[in-house]
Amino acid sequence: MRATGQLQNLQGNHACAMGAIAAGCRFFAGYPITPSSEIAEKMSLELPKVDGIFIQMEDEIASMGAILGASMGGSKAMTATSGPGFSLKQENLGYAAGAEIPCVVVNVMRGGPSTGLPTRPAQGDIMQARWGTHGDHGVIVLAPCSVKEIYQEMIRAFWLTETLRVPVVVIYDEVIGHLVETVELPSPQSIEQAERKWASGPSAEFLPYQKTKDMVPAMARPGDGYRAHTTGLTTSESGFPTQDPGQVEAMVTRRLGKLEHHAADIASYEEIDCKDAKIILVTVGISARAAARAQQQARDKGLKVGLFRPITLWPFPVVAFRAASKKATHIIVPEMNAGQLILEIERLMSAKQTAVGINRIDGEVIDPVAILEKIEEISRA
Amino acid sequence: MSNIEKPVYLEEKLEEIQASGHLEYRSKSLPTWCPGCGYFSIVEGLTAALNNLSIDPDETVVVSGIGCASRFPFFIDTYGFHSLHGRALPVATGIKVANDDLSVIVVGGDGDAFAIGGAHIPHAARRNVDITYILFDNGIYGLTKGQTSPTSVLGFQTTTSPFENHDMPLNPLMMLLSYGASWVGQAYAGHPHHMAGMIEEALAFKGFSYLHVLSPCVTFDKTSKTYQNLGMSVRPLPDDHDRSDVMAAMAQAQKTDAPALGCYFEQPRPTLADGLNDIAARAAK
Repeated sequence: MRATGQLQNLQGNHACAMGAIAAGCRFFAGYPITPSSEIAEKMSLELPKVDGIFIQMEDEIASMGAILGASMGGSKAMTATSGPGFSLKQENLGYAAGAEIPCVVVNVMRGGPSTGLPTRPAQGDIMQARWGTHGDHGVIVLAPCSVKEIYQEMIRAFWLTETLRVPVVVIYDEVIGHLVETVELPSPQSIEQAERKWASGPSAEFLPYQKTKDMVPAMARPGDGYRAHTTGLTTSESGFPTQDPGQVEAMVTRRLGKLEHHAADIASYEEIDCKDAKIILVTVGISARAAARAQQQARDKGLKVGLFRPITLWPFPVVAFRAASKKATHIIVPEMNAGQLILEIERLMSAKQTAVGINRIDGEVIDPVAILEKIEEISRA
Repeated sequence: MSNIEKPVYLEEKLEEIQASGHLEYRSKSLPTWCPGCGYFSIVEGLTAALNNLSIDPDETVVVSGIGCASRFPFFIDTYGFHSLHGRALPVATGIKVANDDLSVIVVGGDGDAFAIGGAHIPHAARRNVDITYILFDNGIYGLTKGQTSPTSVLGFQTTTSPFENHDMPLNPLMMLLSYGASWVGQAYAGHPHHMAGMIEEALAFKGFSYLHVLSPCVTFDKTSKTYQNLGMSVRPLPDDHDRSDVMAAMAQAQKTDAPALGCYFEQPRPTLADGLNDIAARAAK
């Protein structure tokens, strides 16, 4: 690994692995799948050098199960996959949401459904990332759009999952994953390491799912003297299963409320020239790179266009988006799918606003020209 | 209604448990299995084995999947991880790798292991993860109230095989032996003392140990793997059985009509942790 503090050419997937290690990730379990395999390969090479563990499991489900076990054992743990593999991980992802087990899952998006276009980019898992698992659950989804941002967001992913006990998904498309950019990485010393809230105090009084002010219960680590049970069943604060409606409601409400309570820490977005914008572009990943170029070209032509890019995709930064789009009449949503992110925008926008999609479903990226044309078309009308 | 508030049998049971000398490992929750279920004796056997080997409950994690057998962690006072259906072994692998000092025990039933979770067993075995897998085989899905399982015998009538089971049952011992499990044994819940000894042996073994426990489901199986039928057919392994001989072990495993009890096979070899340590040493160069 190249020393930090100097310029280097780095691939997105490699930046993902290095960001995770910098954040303190010491356990990776994975299964080969295009276009995410470079993450596993990089981890297999780098983790053993820092006392970390890489293990190639027998399938996607086992990889997800293993990181839950490792996380319970006290490690910062992650896995990486792509669309179909992400589907296979969903049951365990629901377990992580329910039992509040910190973990990071990376999904490098390719064309789907099924084997689809394994080597071509897409952004078709925007809704799977939010709603892929079953039942009422919270999940945090981060959507970086550059090599450097993948590195940074992996650090933030571990920070959020460790401190909030919510599974964090990092999604980006194949283009960003395989993109090589020149970056300067921060020194490892400058990266603050997240520390999970571990059980403390008298063991007899310990409640594994106690409702605390910050909504995040302390975790029992095997060997620490707090004999706790972890289960996928809905439990009371004691960690033992319950079907008591009051206790069940309290548990589900706290888990969902936890995200609300920490909304300000979770939200992250980039906003360019939105203040006076009549047209706002909302998009993620490589589509956001194209949109940024189109936005600049539109401004050069004197058109009032802004860009709002959610970096935390879920929970969607609602407050910031509504503030940024106050003056907008049109919201353009370029995305490499048949229309997923636009559903959220339609839900959030005012009755006076119009949402317009720019979609590609052919395994190709969206060209800045197509976005600029749409901007001009709307501006002329 | 004072007799309901203070049921006498519970007090008797509690005295019995307290008298056993290994109360420390017992959960405050009493098992919820049907009266007569073979699993009660597995709790007894495992707690006795932990006690005899002086394994610290604070350093022990019992991992399970889903099913009657998988309720087990709630009834033992160690760390417990009641994971997804079929997924106990990957979780246990993660726990053990994250902290090699822990004693990790996986428990589960035949459906959890050999149907939905079948993909994980060969890999836990070949990696030689230093865990003990206690498989409770009753040949039926009990928690979902009586459907046919991968170890149900041919001709078995259940709620999902009303015209009798036509799917050949698996032979778990043959599977584990061919997967490269380094310790393979079989016990019978109707012989609790022998079983407790086998659990102790499996726990003491360094590497992946697999103990197959034949355990009748008294509620949903009235005809097949009952105490009466199993009690008449089980036998000890021959005195001259060589546990280092995999072919001899497989020959015994083929005799499913008269299941042999005891340690079939034992062959210590480097564990997953040994391999990971070697990788770390090479990476450090």
